[in-house]
Amino acid sequence: MKILVPFKRVADPGSYVDQGAVEERKWIINPFDEIAVEEAIRIKERGEAQELVGATIGSEGAEEQVRTAMAMGLDRAIRVDDSRYLDAYAVSRILEGVVRLEKPDLVLMGKQAVDSDANQTGQMLAGRLSWPQATFVSKIEFVSGFTIARCTRETDSGLEVITVDLPAVVTTDLRLNEPRYVSLPSLMKARRRPFEVLTVEQIGVDVQSRSTVLKSSPTPRRAAGVRLETVEQLVACLRNNDKVL
Amino acid sequence: MIESLVLIEHCAGSIKRSSLNAARLACRLGDHFALAVLGNGVVEIAESVRALGARAVLLADSPLLAEPLADRYAAVLAAMARRLGARNLLGTSSTFTKDVLPRTAALLDAPMLSDVTGSETVNGETVFQHPVNAGSVSATVKLEGDVRVLTVRGAAFATPVPTGAPSPIEMFSFDPAALPNGTQFVSRDTRPSGRPDLTEASVVVSGGRPLKDKETFERLIGGLADALGGAVGATRAAVDAGMVPNDCQVGQTGKTVAPELYFAVGVSGAIQHMAGTMDAKVIVAINRDPDAPVFQMANYGLVGDLHELVPNLIAAIRS
Amino acid sequence: METGIAPTREVFGNIAPWMRVVFYIMICGSLAALGWQVWGRLRLWRQGRSGGFEKDWRVWLSRLAVYAVAQKRVHRKSLGAALHLLLASGFVVLTIGTTLLAVADQGPVNFHHGLYYLVYELTMDVFGVAFCIGCVLAFLRRTFRRPASLGHDNLRDLTLLSLLLGLGVTGFILEALRLHYSHVPGEIARWSVIGDAIQLAFLRNLEVGTTAPLHLGMWWLHTVLAAAFFACIPATRFLHVLTGPVNIASRPQRGVGVLAPLKLEDVEKSGKVGVKQLADFTRQQLLSLDSCMGCGRCQDVCPAWGVGKPLSPKNLVADLRAAMSRWGGPEADSLPGDTIRTESLWACTMCQACVEECPVLIGHVDFISDLRRNLVGEGAFSGPAAVSMKHVANRFNPYGRPNAERLGWADGLSVPTVESNPGYEFLYWVGCAAAFDPRAQNVARCMVQLMESAGVNYAVLGKLERCTGDQARRLGDEFLFQDLAQHNIRTLDAHNARKIVTACPHCYNTLLNEYPQFGGHYQVQHHSQFLAELLAAGRLRPSPGLHTAVTFHDPCYLARANGEISAPRQVLSRSAAVLREMPRSGRKSFCCGAGGGRMWMDEAPAQRVSTLRAKEAESTGAGVIATGCPFCLKMMTDAVATVSAKRPPAVVDIAELLVDGQRRPGEQLRASATNECR
Repeated sequence: MKILVPFKRVADPGSYVDQGAVEERKWIINPFDEIAVEEAIRIKERGEAQELVGATIGSEGAEEQVRTAMAMGLDRAIRVDDSRYLDAYAVSRILEGVVRLEKPDLVLMGKQAVDSDANQTGQMLAGRLSWPQATFVSKIEFVSGFTIARCTRETDSGLEVITVDLPAVVTTDLRLNEPRYVSLPSLMKARRRPFEVLTVEQIGVDVQSRSTVLKSSPTPRRAAGVRLETVEQLVACLRNNDKVL
Repeated sequence: MIESLVLIEHCAGSIKRSSLNAARLACRLGDHFALAVLGNGVVEIAESVRALGARAVLLADSPLLAEPLADRYAAVLAAMARRLGARNLLGTSSTFTKDVLPRTAALLDAPMLSDVTGSETVNGETVFQHPVNAGSVSATVKLEGDVRVLTVRGAAFATPVPTGAPSPIEMFSFDPAALPNGTQFVSRDTRPSGRPDLTEASVVVSGGRPLKDKETFERLIGGLADALGGAVGATRAAVDAGMVPNDCQVGQTGKTVAPELYFAVGVSGAIQHMAGTMDAKVIVAINRDPDAPVFQMANYGLVGDLHELVPNLIAAIRS
Repeated sequence: METGIAPTREVFGNIAPWMRVVFYIMICGSLAALGWQVWGRLRLWRQGRSGGFEKDWRVWLSRLAVYAVAQKRVHRKSLGAALHLLLASGFVVLTIGTTLLAVADQGPVNFHHGLYYLVYELTMDVFGVAFCIGCVLAFLRRTFRRPASLGHDNLRDLTLLSLLLGLGVTGFILEALRLHYSHVPGEIARWSVIGDAIQLAFLRNLEVGTTAPLHLGMWWLHTVLAAAFFACIPATRFLHVLTGPVNIASRPQRGVGVLAPLKLEDVEKSGKVGVKQLADFTRQQLLSLDSCMGCGRCQDVCPAWGVGKPLSPKNLVADLRAAMSRWGGPEADSLPGDTIRTESLWACTMCQACVEECPVLIGHVDFISDLRRNLVGEGAFSGPAAVSMKHVANRFNPYGRPNAERLGWADGLSVPTVESNPGYEFLYWVGCAAAFDPRAQNVARCMVQLMESAGVNYAVLGKLERCTGDQARRLGDEFLFQDLAQHNIRTLDAHNARKIVTACPHCYNTLLNEYPQFGGHYQVQHHSQFLAELLAAGRLRPSPGLHTAVTFHDPCYLARANGEISAPRQVLSRSAAVLREMPRSGRKSFCCGAGGGRMWMDEAPAQRVSTLRAKEAESTGAGVIATGCPFCLKMMTDAVATVSAKRPPAVVDIAELLVDGQRRPGEQLRASATNECR
């Protein structure tokens, strides 16, 4: 089985405050994608997959994350060189190009990126490929001679088990696994492994984002508590001010 | 012309009320909207949404749609949207809509925006606000293209009130053979507690050691959680004392949650616990000690005896 | 003394020449067997990495004098120590005596006569008795008292003890028989006290014709026992007599709280980090495994073992040694994971109590650190501690808060930073705990008030401060530690930091003792030392006495790793009328359980080290537990809340106690808010 693991480079949420200076940010692999990388590696360690390919879209800075993913245990990786702002629509089309190039049996990726919080890319990719999808997966196993993936999904109403015929797109949820720790020695070993850089043209995709961010503003930071006197006041605030009730 | 199509969610024979809230946004995006109901044997669901002012309720009723399998639902929904020529496809954010709508967007070659909290008109165009970066930033976004797919944050839009004439129900037919069949439903395990999962819930109520014992914890914390439709969390001290099982533990060595609303009842605010909930949108602290660190981290604080305040709060919410 | 016969003795008096030859062959043979076995162990040690030995011979000598000869770490008020003193001194004297006899006999000058001879005989007898009493006590202790520390290797130990006691007893019988058959005159025989007593008691009525052959027989027995003993040494715990001093002398010189650095180039070259196989240990470490005699004192003081976790420093050493003995051929097992359970490795709080206790200076913590480094290097590290270390890597603090919020505790106070006050004298190193843990933030606020009161010219680094990396190093991510250390050193040097004060013993230890490994040399003080100086100089007013007794919980990294015991007590003596000591205090302090990265790990309630310590603190009856470490503060606060039935003692930092004196004279300390609403 060949597994493609797309992952996104995101800024570590706690490494900066508000919109802080760009230099202060630390960049990491999107935690949900990291879970996907880990799962792919475990599937290979069980002997169920033979080739693991990572893919990310970004500029040269993203190579740091490529190294980390390879240090965890991917065999190969591809960086699609594109430093534009890309929404899920565009990303899913680029990934579609990568899938047609690599022809994996399974695409395993995080359910959402912790910066955009979109939770769309995997599903859109599945739709474009006309592949079955299993989202928010907390357990995955292969049956029927690795032609079917049996997935447990985390939904609002409980755990749901479905089967999807391979090739399929699976997006990972938090409880699927705990990614292995990467320290400098493993990164050093991974440095020797090669990875490809491709352009969108080489993938055969020509796409623009379909959404534009007009402006961003930080939501008010949590200030030290407003002391209230009565529960009625509290309920009123929650209902009217914060609209959480 | 019907500008918007709103996907309705139902479960175990009853409608999920918050899924109707997306219709509010639909009203802003055009004069007319339709509702989509998919399932098997769900005529009554369709009946129950006739009074919301929709131009039509499209009903796709088939055994093949008995379970909400994304590939099938997306195919049917996309066909519905195409038939209507709708510009917008909407739903209220939930694992169901998150599963189905993006795939539908791809079938319609449309962009999508998740978790919309508001809209405004800029240069004659409607643009939308939605949270990013775990809710710490609000982005205003413009979507291009003939069709747009949107999910709304349930709490940001009110449930529509019943209006005027009932909408007609239109049976939507599709070719079963053309439906994808690469996905099969196996089973569902509905939570025994009936409460939502801690890490997914939009409301979490956590208790600490002052709750004293299992019964009090369930009565007060569980009671407040149920009044809010939320999940139950706890500090390590409460778990150690046997008040709750350890999968309720929130904190550095427990679960990390990011609900809309987090209640910290009898919780001191030690960082080992609060680290698990720093991304909550609104934190409410109820504690006897006015100097407890939790008040520095909460949006709202109530100083007093939780044994009195919590029951009052439950009553106030229910009223 | 004048007699007709000059005091001396015949050597080999009853022994025919051919028997002497056999004797020498036997002894040489058994010594050869001993040597061959030791050579075998030596070959095993040599399979380790080269290096790791102390090179300075002066250090060798001083260490040998203190730990091998004076046996500083052995002595204490216990049966085990007493019997060891008897056994050891007895054995040493008897060995020296026998050697002297051989030298006198074989050498150019026979000095074995006259007063020397008489004193010699007396000395040998006295120490011989001591030796035998030691053996008997050893038998009794292991039969009746059965301390857990002794272990289960009964067969080897009983064999050894039997041989030793046998040698002692047959030696005396031999002496008695010799005195008898050689007709040694009374005034001379008297000096061989025991032999004479035996002779007078049992042999008086026997003929030489009887005692001479008896002597011969006993002599053979004694010889056989001696030969057996020598040959058995490497197989029994007696080996420590040879290997112990070697380890004592050769152990690399390093502070107690200091771990050895790794070099990136070495890791790049070898592809290995930490220790996975025995050959990855240094030769010195491997030989130290053989110097363990299984006394079990390390286990007795280990906090993890004390709460029932699967970690015993003694078993760790024994398991590694057993693996070394099994060595041969390609190694399949991985030490961390296969030979030593990972739970054992992660259970360690790195309190160094085991290292402090060990009479032969074995470095248990270094073993654990090396094995952890391998686990982390291979990615076998997960759970909340791994998450905390990821935070340290990305956010420069284990709490996961944005580093830019480092001055959150200073809200409402005007705290000078190195940028606003570049002419500062003291750099107050706040540390991650005081910056981000709400409970510990109060300590930082108190420190600032104290320094303002005392007119100290200080500054903080603010956002420029990053975690010292101490916990990363203890957990095994050495390169994360080095990255932080090198960055912090650059920052400190860029702002001309020379004198640093910190309220966290972990920061204190790392800044003072470990940063020099990377070129950072600073005068670092723990706040207890700093505050004690200010009090002594009259720059701070002492607080009025607390109405309740105080007990001080010595932080491991202050008291044991750095020997600072008196400064916090000087500070406390100004705040409290009554200071009560816990049974385990000072260098013998018992860990709160948070060190070694355990602060970031979850623990089953039944296995919390802090609970043990809280009970110990409560037993003093003190109403206040004072400490000087934010981790101890957190652990003890939580633990007393679970342990106490009624109102738990207040847990405070010494700085908080002092502040009460500066601001609110006469007001009694109120219990920590944290206790009431947890």
